[in-house]
Amino acid sequence: MSKDDEYDYLFKVVLIGDSGVGKSNLVSRFTRNEFNLESKSTIGVEFTTRSIQVDAKTIKAQIWDTAGQERYRAITSAYYRGAVGALLVYDIAKHATYENVGRWLKELRDHADNNIVIMLVGNKSDLRHLRAVPTDEAKQFAAENGLSFIETSALDSSNVELSFQRILTEIYRIVSNKALESSGDVIRPTGGETINVNPNSGDVAAAGKCC
Amino acid sequence: MGDLHLIGTEHQTDAVYALQRSKQKARFLKFKDMLQQPVVDLDVLRKLSWSGVPTAIRPIVWQLLVGYLPCNSDRRNVALERKRKEYQDGVQQTFARGIEGLDQTIWHQVFIDVPRTNPKMALFQNQTTQRCLERILYCWAIRHPASSYVQGINDLVTPFFLVFLTAYIEEDQDPESYDISLLPPEILSAIEADSYWCLSKLLDGIQDNFTHAQPGIQRQIVKLRELICRIDAPLAAHLQSEHVEFIQFSFRWMNCLLMREVTLQHTIRMWDTYLTEHPHGFSEFHLYVCAAFLTKWSAELMRMEFQEIMLFLQDVPTDDWQEKEIELLLSEAFMWKSLFHASPMHLGGSK
Repeated sequence: MSKDDEYDYLFKVVLIGDSGVGKSNLVSRFTRNEFNLESKSTIGVEFTTRSIQVDAKTIKAQIWDTAGQERYRAITSAYYRGAVGALLVYDIAKHATYENVGRWLKELRDHADNNIVIMLVGNKSDLRHLRAVPTDEAKQFAAENGLSFIETSALDSSNVELSFQRILTEIYRIVSNKALESSGDVIRPTGGETINVNPNSGDVAAAGKCC
Repeated sequence: MGDLHLIGTEHQTDAVYALQRSKQKARFLKFKDMLQQPVVDLDVLRKLSWSGVPTAIRPIVWQLLVGYLPCNSDRRNVALERKRKEYQDGVQQTFARGIEGLDQTIWHQVFIDVPRTNPKMALFQNQTTQRCLERILYCWAIRHPASSYVQGINDLVTPFFLVFLTAYIEEDQDPESYDISLLPPEILSAIEADSYWCLSKLLDGIQDNFTHAQPGIQRQIVKLRELICRIDAPLAAHLQSEHVEFIQFSFRWMNCLLMREVTLQHTIRMWDTYLTEHPHGFSEFHLYVCAAFLTKWSAELMRMEFQEIMLFLQDVPTDDWQEKEIELLLSEAFMWKSLFHASPMHLGGSK
């Protein structure tokens, strides 16, 4: 196993939301610090990873970036299984993409694990003059629905790093708290074949056994 | 017409080049001769086109192979006129009430995908081209409600559009960077209409790739897996042990016919061959091309783990590919198809 592949936790995270809201650019900004104004549309699902540090632990995010078009829903929803986090992205300058957030939440309820951590992400915050979704409104909606909330711009990078940091940290807290509260196989997210904690990682094994 | 299908190695002598050129010329003349016949023999045209069609005559050859242009030369002009008018009338009717009169869901998707089509190529970033593609894709979508417009169909129209453009520009001009707004409106409109009809013909053969839950693609992916189990069992086993599922990497290969994996020029070369097998080239034969494509990287993949495999297969290193790599791929696909296609039981027993 290569060096950059050592990690304490492996979390599967999906990006969902309407077509054209900037999901792929959020991912490329976070993983490669790249942004393309006109990048090709995502077909099906694209995979990538990046590791971050939380509490001196290495957390590796396995990111599945999905195609936004309705037709792909049957394909992409299969990828929700086993995900411990979801970034539900809309475009702050396109109200319709915000109106569809409810539909995306239903998708997650139908196909994802119950305890998935969801973050509502209002992307394209650089388009101030075109803003169609007030921050407060989205924030309130997020609070009412138990989601965390952030506004980002993949174009000027603002809050992109922070959004992933936050959701991964939130997942990490839940997972490590659970590990403390109870015993047994608690770190493993339900139904997640690919989310298994790295069996070679001593830290995780210790965390699982510590209580 | 450049290097058609006989690509040389670095060490070739002038004499070999000269020989190649004369072979190419002979081939070109064969094509020309055939196209001048009062009735084109499609079987012969297919055989000749399988190993590539010269650039200069590709527009007419593709239109014949896809079944858009009548084989009978007497009927061609009338047929073309009628189809082009039919398309233009349809466009006028469809857009009569402006953008507001359109189905907003379909229009929105087309509208945001067109600028994302070949974003690095001047021809497709040209506003004139983009308006053409919008009309083509929208009109096709509303006439095919079972599938409607699906992302990726925008990729599939581009080879037709570029190839048909070459009929109207000088041979030494590069169509990929050509400023299409220089063309007279009637020529533009002919390119647009021909692209629409040929795209329709292509999609007729693979419509269930784009209907609900995309059963055509699902089927192809299952078949691809079975094929790999037969022709490269160690690779199939390795992918399985790494928990790599075929849908994770080959969905796009099917949805976009490998267009995201190779250049547009190479796609066009592939379609010379696919079109000779029309209407099954873009489904059945493509499956074998995907198998040849995957097994090409077998040695690399065998050394990789899940993450590396996924990243590799999403961005396969074909940047330095020449036409000879494409031709090798097509030849291998032909071989696999000859071995397995007529005997599906070979596949069935492979689990």
